[in-house]
Amino acid sequence: MVLKLNLRFIFAMGLYYGLYTITRGFSYVIASMSLPLTMLFLIGIISRGYLLKYAVIGGFISLISTNALSSAGDASFLRLELKFQDLLVTTRITRIDYMLGLMLSYLFFSLPGIVIYAVIGVVLNLFTAFRAFVLFLIMLSLLISETSLAFMIAGMMKHIRNVWGIVSILSIILSVIPPIFYPYTYLPKYVLYILSISPATPGSVIAQGVFGMQPFNYVMLIILIAETAFYFVLGMNFIKWRES
Amino acid sequence: MIEIYGLNKIYDNRVEALKKITAKISKKRTAIIGRNGAGKTTLIRILSTQLMPTSGYALINGLNILKDEEEIRKKVSCIPQEARPVGLLTPYEHILIYLTARGYSFKNASEEARKALKEVNLWENRNTPADELSGGMKRKLFVAMALASNAELVFLDEPTTGLDPLSRLEVWTAIKGLGSDLVLTTHYMEEAQSLADELIFMENGTIIKQGTAEEVLSEFKGKVRIESRKPVDNWKKAGGLYIKYVDSEEAHEYVKMGYDVKQITLEDLFFKYGVEIES
Ligand SMILES: Nc1ncnc2c1ncn2[C@@H]1O[C@H](COP(=O)(O)OP(=O)(O)O)[C@@H](O)[C@H]1O
Ligand SMILES: [Mg+2]
Repeated sequence: MVLKLNLRFIFAMGLYYGLYTITRGFSYVIASMSLPLTMLFLIGIISRGYLLKYAVIGGFISLISTNALSSAGDASFLRLELKFQDLLVTTRITRIDYMLGLMLSYLFFSLPGIVIYAVIGVVLNLFTAFRAFVLFLIMLSLLISETSLAFMIAGMMKHIRNVWGIVSILSIILSVIPPIFYPYTYLPKYVLYILSISPATPGSVIAQGVFGMQPFNYVMLIILIAETAFYFVLGMNFIKWRES
Repeated sequence: MIEIYGLNKIYDNRVEALKKITAKISKKRTAIIGRNGAGKTTLIRILSTQLMPTSGYALINGLNILKDEEEIRKKVSCIPQEARPVGLLTPYEHILIYLTARGYSFKNASEEARKALKEVNLWENRNTPADELSGGMKRKLFVAMALASNAELVFLDEPTTGLDPLSRLEVWTAIKGLGSDLVLTTHYMEEAQSLADELIFMENGTIIKQGTAEEVLSEFKGKVRIESRKPVDNWKKAGGLYIKYVDSEEAHEYVKMGYDVKQITLEDLFFKYGVEIES
């Protein structure tokens, strides 16, 4: 099977549903930045600047995770309340186009936060071109893997009211427990591997390695790549494109 | 043309929403009428390849819903029941997203969006976020999407439910502007008569009648409906009333007895065939 993407649709979703809604719904953008910014503040104060680097690098990862979480609610809303997904099923796009279109819109939606963090990172002199590039790739894998999980949840929901409880549990797994804001070496090895079920864990470990904060861990690189592919396929199968 | 062969749908909760339906829909505009729960939405979602049937199949202009979904989706547009626009997006953006999904270039999509929005009288509001549109405008937006799609066949599932009478008329006008074949569902009888050449009356997962308004009402020809608020032996209970059909010549007898006499309308299909839900 050849994969034919409808790039126009994906771009239109990114542009209209992601980029334009930033200006119209800025309160959502602020909400999506509140957790990483709070962490930045707290960690900076409590560690007296010692862990500030973790807060900044973790902030990038947390931004994507937070948005991925709200995308579970968003994708459920589009499917169950607006019937937007059904509307698009009877068109030429595939479920992959739909997923990628929404992912691009969530990425665009995260841009204001990413810019803020990038500025802080530049001020603290954290970046080289290589580091920035790897960080971007990590964020991309997290976007794909975590929003795929969100699509899976959205596909399994029968009522929108059920989604919020699941999201709050998922938020702990995706964005609180994993070593996003603290050195991954604080964790016993086996705990680290258990936590790596959440893509945020390998993502953070790789980031901390590349930014020279902790030793680089190759196993986590393999885990992140594998999880990105695995969760994407999972999302594809559960998104309920043509219902049975 | 839609040919339906033994279409059956049993949901996970064991509800049999369609009971081996076989039918042919060949008129330009068809209205499926029936009460809530009759199976209209299930039928539409199966025909527009959103939902798999449990058994049976259907052909849409010769294409099999089980095998040719890709081809069917190019030719068919379906506006789901209770579809709502995305609050932050404008009518223009909705149509652009929808048309790019249907394979249009941005240039063509933009041109079609302009035409469709003018046609349904939404051009003035093309840049208003959908949150700020009235209920009628929101529905017209969806009709505009179907219009702009230039699909061969359009399905509209309850396009006017919940609208006030004036908004409903506006949506009707928009629907009349559709050039494609049309299948719509409704439980408003005057809507079915105003918009469709043929009616299909569904109840309880089956098709009970199909034809013009006159044809589906042929069994009531020359009759009137007698209504009583109090129970009468052997009269049918229908929505809090007790009813009976008699030849119109006998009507005056019942008037003398103090009963109400009513002309036959399409609603009588509901009264006659509706399965009374006991409470
Ligand atoms: N997703 C579903 N799961 C289980 N039962 C359903 C589902 N959708 C509809 N039903 C049931 O199937 C029957 C037909 O519903 P539907 O096709 O929506 O009828 P209508 O559109 O005529 O109101 C109803 O009894 C309804 O409760
Ligand atoms: Mg319905």
